[in-house]
Amino acid sequence: AGFIKSPLSQKRLTQDSVELYCEAIGNPIPEIQWWFEGNDPNDTYAQLWDGARQDRVKINATYNLHSTSTISIANLTSDDSGMYECRASNDPDRNHLSKSPKVKWIRSQANVFVIERPEITTQVTEAAGKLVLSCNVSSPQSPIKGHKWKHGEKVLKEDDSTDSFTSYVIDGKREEHSGVYECVYEGPPEIRGQVNISVAPQVVAYKKSEHGNEGDTGVLTCKNPSFPAVTTWSWYKSGQGRLENASGRYIIKSSGNKTELRIHKLDIEQDTGDYFCNATNSFGSGDATVNLRVRSRLAALWPFLGIVAEVLVLVTIIFIYEKRRKPDEVPDGKRRLGLNLSIRESNATNHKDKNVRQRNAN
Amino acid sequence: PVPAEAGRAPGPPDGGWGWVVVFGAFVSIGFAYAFPKGLAIFYKEIQDFFGTSYSEIAWVSSIMLATTYGAGPISSILVNRYGSRPVVMFGGLLCGVGMISAAFCTSILQLYICVGFITGFGLALNLQPSVIIIGKYFLKRRPIANGLAMAGSPVMLCTLAPLNQFLFDNFGWRGSFLILGAILLNCCVAGALFRPIGAGTAPAKTQVPEEGKDALKGKITEDGMDTSGPSNVTEEEGGKDCFEKVNQYLDFSLFKHRGFLIYLIGNVLMFLGFFAPIVFLAPYAKHTGIDEYSAAFLLSILAIVDMVARPTTGIVANSRWVRPRIQYFFSFAIAFNGACHLLCPLASSYTGLIVYSSFYGLAFGMVCAMLFETLMDLVGAARFTSAVGLVTIAECCTILLGPPIGGILIDTFGDYKYMFIKCGAVMVLAGTFLFIMNYYNYRMLAKEEKERKAKEEDPKSVRTENEGKNNWNKDSAQDGRELEPLRKEGEGVKKEMNGT
Repeated sequence: AGFIKSPLSQKRLTQDSVELYCEAIGNPIPEIQWWFEGNDPNDTYAQLWDGARQDRVKINATYNLHSTSTISIANLTSDDSGMYECRASNDPDRNHLSKSPKVKWIRSQANVFVIERPEITTQVTEAAGKLVLSCNVSSPQSPIKGHKWKHGEKVLKEDDSTDSFTSYVIDGKREEHSGVYECVYEGPPEIRGQVNISVAPQVVAYKKSEHGNEGDTGVLTCKNPSFPAVTTWSWYKSGQGRLENASGRYIIKSSGNKTELRIHKLDIEQDTGDYFCNATNSFGSGDATVNLRVRSRLAALWPFLGIVAEVLVLVTIIFIYEKRRKPDEVPDGKRRLGLNLSIRESNATNHKDKNVRQRNAN
Repeated sequence: PVPAEAGRAPGPPDGGWGWVVVFGAFVSIGFAYAFPKGLAIFYKEIQDFFGTSYSEIAWVSSIMLATTYGAGPISSILVNRYGSRPVVMFGGLLCGVGMISAAFCTSILQLYICVGFITGFGLALNLQPSVIIIGKYFLKRRPIANGLAMAGSPVMLCTLAPLNQFLFDNFGWRGSFLILGAILLNCCVAGALFRPIGAGTAPAKTQVPEEGKDALKGKITEDGMDTSGPSNVTEEEGGKDCFEKVNQYLDFSLFKHRGFLIYLIGNVLMFLGFFAPIVFLAPYAKHTGIDEYSAAFLLSILAIVDMVARPTTGIVANSRWVRPRIQYFFSFAIAFNGACHLLCPLASSYTGLIVYSSFYGLAFGMVCAMLFETLMDLVGAARFTSAVGLVTIAECCTILLGPPIGGILIDTFGDYKYMFIKCGAVMVLAGTFLFIMNYYNYRMLAKEEKERKAKEEDPKSVRTENEGKNNWNKDSAQDGRELEPLRKEGEGVKKEMNGT
């Protein structure tokens, strides 16, 4: 038997997790075990099993063409520091209680250092239209090589200074920049601190004024783009108090950042008006107003009839005007180069050698 | 000059009621071109309502555009038979009915039929007669009239876009379609203005003393007033066979007409690259990082410059220096258009794009204003009816192909510049082709004119009216003579090389 991959030594912070990986080959396929020796001078090697240390230890092993085993320890404490050994053997007597095995277990070691997670004090101050986010790490165990500020996936600022204090300035107000920000100290290991800008819900309506057709379904939507998410949404109608989900024609669907009020079978009298959506979280509450207008099915009919009437009137006027002019045969008065305007008129002026065939205009 | 003029048959009025007709054509043409584009505002809502994809909705516009152009020949036949006024009024009615029934549609297929086919067909019946009747009312000032009438398109587009938005906000899409149907009925009003007019156009203005009366008879029937006048066959020809009967309604003999063929090939080529840049201008602007409103503003600039460019081009084309050589002006406009597109990829900043939009608007307006004018110039007002029908159905294919090909180019290369280069190249090619071929055409016409005049010295040679035989000569000669009265008062047998 022999090791293809050995576990690597690692440095971690408390409350982090660590993973050690080991791979061995042999014929027959060797068995892999994990053993641990603490840093205390009195400590001796003890075997680790899946579920040890209050279920913080997980061992995952596969035995196909060769053996692999991964041990992961979650929520590290300083007691987890020490030497971890990956042991492999394919001797059939390896686990015999009385007999000693002919071939010893081969071993591969890795050191895991668990460093106390330093305290990071975070602060958000608001002054003169600016927000200052700051992090201060107390007693860092390992040297700091740089800082990074992040908002979600986006990196806002990076630098190389070795200060334990770092800050980031945003122009604006709390309400506009709520969210989760991270100050990252480059190590190794990487130490992250979380700075939250929390505000009461900044509720906005998708559309301040909504339209719906009589008999159709109307949808009113409000959203909350700020942090943290909304715990309770509620809808009110002026003059009607609170609207409950699945009461009558109302259906309300809500999530952390959006709420939707659907009204079935819109009625012009009952449903037109102002609706208020109210959102609450642990920092306060906010609301917005949406106005609903219900169009009558016949709303478009009046302009339609009006325009059709106008068209009929104009066409009639044009035809009457033309019929009245017909018997007169008075030239229009505008002559260019003596050209006549219409063929009827040419009759008057003409032209023996022309066989101008008469055509009636209509 | 009055006595000399009195000897002529009445020519087109060039004014008076003609300007009212121009206004009617303005409205009619405006609706025909602008309406399909204006509908795009409703698509999102309709898409959500019926739950279809965007491309299915876009078919509505394509069907409408295809029908408007494809129904050209039918429109021409109807105008040949019944005259402009009834056709436009019927077209307006059809549009209105189409949109009103669209307001009650319950499936996307019904929308295709109502909005796409019926309204599209109605618009086709609007478009052709409007253009045709301008040719009947104007000769001397025809380019101006054409320019003014074609200006209807950008003006209507600028009006329809905010109007559609307003209607949509207040009435939803169904109500808007209902009201738009009523608005389209106004095309009937425009049609009512198209008072039919007698044969005042070129062929009638013959040199009276020399012409046989038969010649006149034939010409006047050709001009086809509203009633039966079959367009190219005179009463003297007896025994019409089937082919000639068809020819009565749609003049296929145009395909032997040199000028017509030149125009057809050049235009079909041009339309491959004509509309694609407009379709892709806003996406291109957004692609270079410009925000949506500024991108839309580019299109507004284009429309405004277009609006001004069309009548201006009309006036320029009417001037003494340009009118005889109007085909060259047209080719120049097309090539200018192409040059704009070729230079577009160089403009990457917003200012550059604004400059491009302005020039494009100018070039676009110039081409559109002269689109029908040049055709009228080449084939003469008499056969214009059939010519425009045949041309539009040929253009139909390339118009529909243009933007999708551009889209494919963009998708394949991931870069808009190849689309612009393709459009620019196609248009420069079309412009050059037209320029060269028209030069050749002008020379041939001059030669024929010379021969004709030489023949006319001989009193015995009365020009026969067998259209089939003397097609070329007659047409070219008649076109030439179209412009004679414009040149000066007397009728002199002046050999004008520039008579088209």
